[in-house]
Amino acid sequence: MASKIIRRDVLVGAVTSVAALAISGGNVSSAEPKTHDVVIKSFKFDPMHITVKVDDTIRWTNEDLAPHTATATEGGWDTGEIAKGDDRSVVVSEGMDTNYFCAFHPHMKGTIELT
Amino acid sequence: MKKFLTGLAIAGVLFSTHAFANDPAELSDVEIAHVAYTADNLDIRYAHLALAKSKNPEVHKFAKTMIRDHEAVNEQALALLKKLGAEAKDNFLSQKLNLDGDAIIAKFSALNGAGFDRAYAENELAYHRAVNALVGDVFIPNIENAEVKALFEEGLKIFKVHEGHAEMMVKALN
Repeated sequence: MASKIIRRDVLVGAVTSVAALAISGGNVSSAEPKTHDVVIKSFKFDPMHITVKVDDTIRWTNEDLAPHTATATEGGWDTGEIAKGDDRSVVVSEGMDTNYFCAFHPHMKGTIELT
Repeated sequence: MKKFLTGLAIAGVLFSTHAFANDPAELSDVEIAHVAYTADNLDIRYAHLALAKSKNPEVHKFAKTMIRDHEAVNEQALALLKKLGAEAKDNFLSQKLNLDGDAIIAKFSALNGAGFDRAYAENELAYHRAVNALVGDVFIPNIENAEVKALFEEGLKIFKVHEGHAEMMVKALN
């Protein structure tokens, strides 16, 4: 019984891979959007500086007890409140503000580099 | 081992005026939890007063942060006590904090405008300095339960940030 399950899983995996290759035309693109994780811990963004591309996603996860935000310094984008253990994401767009801070604790700052 | 002398010195200097018949360093974990919960709630009360009385946007921002952060700490503290099947226990220091807090709120209620803002900011700085010294030097070394200790260590990080924020607010308002 166990071996049947394993075989079925392998088969499903193989079918999925073939389908994925068919959809993408067999090309594996390195330009696919990525998700970049920033952890908020001890009142710091870690890493404080990230390098991203347009259409990538930045995901902030709050490991502090206190709620935080990631808020563009010029006000163009804002995650809103991120409670302990929660995360919020922002999709990178052309010309977005690359300096940000925590609106609740303004000494917390981070930067984004667009390439 | 309880830090009797340290507790007396810090609490005596920072929490005011009369010699304690009791020593903060001798409080049990559930009594310490009650003091922390009381101190959090007191700062939340100060913040609500600031929101009602101040017209300064920076004071409002600070007060809202105090409410948000102290409520978050209290929520975690209550959840931990529930998990441990324990209940916070009232004690002489919680009662003193409340008495002192009532007096400060009565005094600040008579103030307005820039006078209120300065008084609120200065009290926030003094209050956080006092509580941080008590938590860091007396409570944390004496807490016996590891999870309660960890929560206080996490809370102290937050309160030190508040102290720094209050210090900047005092400078900006003077």
